[in-house]
Amino acid sequence: MTSTLLPRTREAPAVPKAPARKASRARRTAVAWLFLAPFALVFVVFTAIPTVAALGLSLTDIRGADLRTPFAVDFTGIDNYLRLFQDGTFVRDILNTALFVAVGVPLTMVIGFALALALNSGIRRLRGVLRTVFFAPVVTNVVAVALIWQYAFHLDGTVNKLLGAVGFAGPNWLDDPHLAMPVVILLGVWRNFGIAMVLFLAGLQAIPQDVYEAASLDGAGRGRQLRHITLPLLLPTTLMVSVLLTVFYLQVFDEPYLLTGGGPLGSTESVALYTYRQFGAGEFGMSSAASFVMLVLVTVVSVVQFRLLRSRT
Amino acid sequence: MPNLSRRTALRLTAGMALGAALPLAGCGRDTNDAATASSAKKVDASPATGTVNVWAAQGDADVLGTVVKPFKAANPDVVVKTTLIPNAEYYTKLQAAIAAGKGPDIAQFFPESQAQFLDSSTLLPVPDGLVDKDSFFKSLWDAGVVDDVAYTVPWYAYTYALVYRSDLAKKAGVQAPTAWDDMEPFLKALQGAGAARGLGADIGWDIFNGQDVAMYAWQAGGSLVTSAGKWNLNTPQMVDALNYNASFFTSGTADTSGPTFLDAQPYFVSGKTAGMITGPWVLGQLDTAAKKTGWTSSHVATAPLPAGASSSVSFSAGGTWGVLADSGNADAAWKLVRYLAKPSTQVAQYKAYGSLPSVISAWDDSAIKSQPLLAAFFTQLKNTRAFPQVGTWQQVATRLGKEMEAVAKGKETAAKAAANIQAYAESVGTGTK
Repeated sequence: MTSTLLPRTREAPAVPKAPARKASRARRTAVAWLFLAPFALVFVVFTAIPTVAALGLSLTDIRGADLRTPFAVDFTGIDNYLRLFQDGTFVRDILNTALFVAVGVPLTMVIGFALALALNSGIRRLRGVLRTVFFAPVVTNVVAVALIWQYAFHLDGTVNKLLGAVGFAGPNWLDDPHLAMPVVILLGVWRNFGIAMVLFLAGLQAIPQDVYEAASLDGAGRGRQLRHITLPLLLPTTLMVSVLLTVFYLQVFDEPYLLTGGGPLGSTESVALYTYRQFGAGEFGMSSAASFVMLVLVTVVSVVQFRLLRSRT
Repeated sequence: MPNLSRRTALRLTAGMALGAALPLAGCGRDTNDAATASSAKKVDASPATGTVNVWAAQGDADVLGTVVKPFKAANPDVVVKTTLIPNAEYYTKLQAAIAAGKGPDIAQFFPESQAQFLDSSTLLPVPDGLVDKDSFFKSLWDAGVVDDVAYTVPWYAYTYALVYRSDLAKKAGVQAPTAWDDMEPFLKALQGAGAARGLGADIGWDIFNGQDVAMYAWQAGGSLVTSAGKWNLNTPQMVDALNYNASFFTSGTADTSGPTFLDAQPYFVSGKTAGMITGPWVLGQLDTAAKKTGWTSSHVATAPLPAGASSSVSFSAGGTWGVLADSGNADAAWKLVRYLAKPSTQVAQYKAYGSLPSVISAWDDSAIKSQPLLAAFFTQLKNTRAFPQVGTWQQVATRLGKEMEAVAKGKETAAKAAANIQAYAESVGTGTK
């Protein structure tokens, strides 16, 4: 009896018949699509179609006046892209954006990491309060902040008053092409170091404590622990933070728009600001082309970062 | 669902992009669709009926509800629905609504930047006999005319004049300048009388600065476009205009670091600056800035702009009305526009908001005539010109403002800036094919 019953009970759940397997998989696929459908719909309507349409627009000479008859515009191939790179201001804006990223991303990461490290190890009391305080700039209204910064860095502003109190004559920060960008970068860093801090903090808390204990027993000091345990184990977090910040910073718009309007002498105008201005002027073809240059930049930089950092993780 | 390989995904994306581009490539502009203005139907004197949707920018139109009350009383079967939109996003929203076919019956425009809308596919031509075009300041009417077809009717008007501290001028013993060459000594005299800077110059380095330079180029005898409709910005007159503007900064009578737009009036009232080249709206705001009623009448004087080598012409600006081509109630819309262009309505608008009339005869009303500081603006308004009716003018003026910054800060010569702006203007074209 046992010999006749046992195989049946074993086989039945383990290997279902082919049609049943197919039905089950189809049902699972259908359920998966059902869950995906809302996002897929929103993505297709609000991201995929506009992106493809914008690529199409970037190959035409569409302007504001053509909005009523968008299909009656002329196909101009890569003319808009050629015009972009012949426009000295666009090339300048790419360099400005590159400077914002090259200085802003490392600075934000270093500050965020240092604060995360302090909150994770040294500071015990007030940790919650400090974490909130450091994160506050992330959720503060940037328009209000930019207005305050404008006054702070005004010729007669707070910063220069403080400098004056210690005997220095402060410069006109926002009207000097060499000083305006550092102030804009500073505002960007101030707004974003909180995000970096929170992400690094989460990464630090995920590192098992016993690794440090083992290293400590082996005689490793704080510095060596940081170099040989913390930093290597934090690499996945570092990769994520750097990619996130780079993508944020490549699209920098709020800070220069609100603080300097892109001036003085275009020294703080970013690619995103250029794109916005082209759109405002009704140059939809040029604006779309600039957006695609930005998309390519973001993609290339992100892929390079992933490749560089992933090889080490 | 099968997994997409990278190659397949790329092919798919390229295919979609091509799919989006090809219809555009296939269609192309019909070169023969030049606006042929249909001879508009006359608008009679019968009462207006139905609903009229009006879109306007916040500001002067805030009092529209009060101003059109008599119109509604005289036309009991009409409903006027006004939508006010913040200034900064007005044109963007209007453009989007027009594109979607959901525009209003009547829309407000700004004569200094309305060229992009002046097309028979967007606006109806002003019907013959609706208003007397000679009753308006000429340049304001001209701002709505393309290929001899008028698309807009002027509403309110402004232009720039010289506003200065009369108390400091009296102390220094100087009169308002009448020529460019008199400007620097005059401003320096105001500084000698106590002002930190003679002029609170506009340092936004944007479209408004571009408009200033364009105005100076006119004063020097230049033109912005040729009679054939080509850009004409790399001229000796443009170089003179850029140098004239830069001279305020290089001579020390103005400062590139301030005042910014919001600071202009506090600086003027406090004596940090003693002059402004600005519009008439400041006159109604200086008492507030000084926190003293009557301060303006005892401390401020106005004068038409100093003349360059050719004239002291300025540009006209303000508001205009147009009826959209898609309007379902054009007859009532035009009747409302006609009402808004009446001298009595424009005086009512002045009393309600301070908007200066675009109808010349309305300036005879005692409410306006009794304001001595407005006299210079009236004189100047009669000596104005419309900016080019070119779709890309806003873009070019904005870039001109940036070039002006480089010259004012000594980073570029005026000749180089003039060459740059011409090259830029040629690259963006005139918005027509």
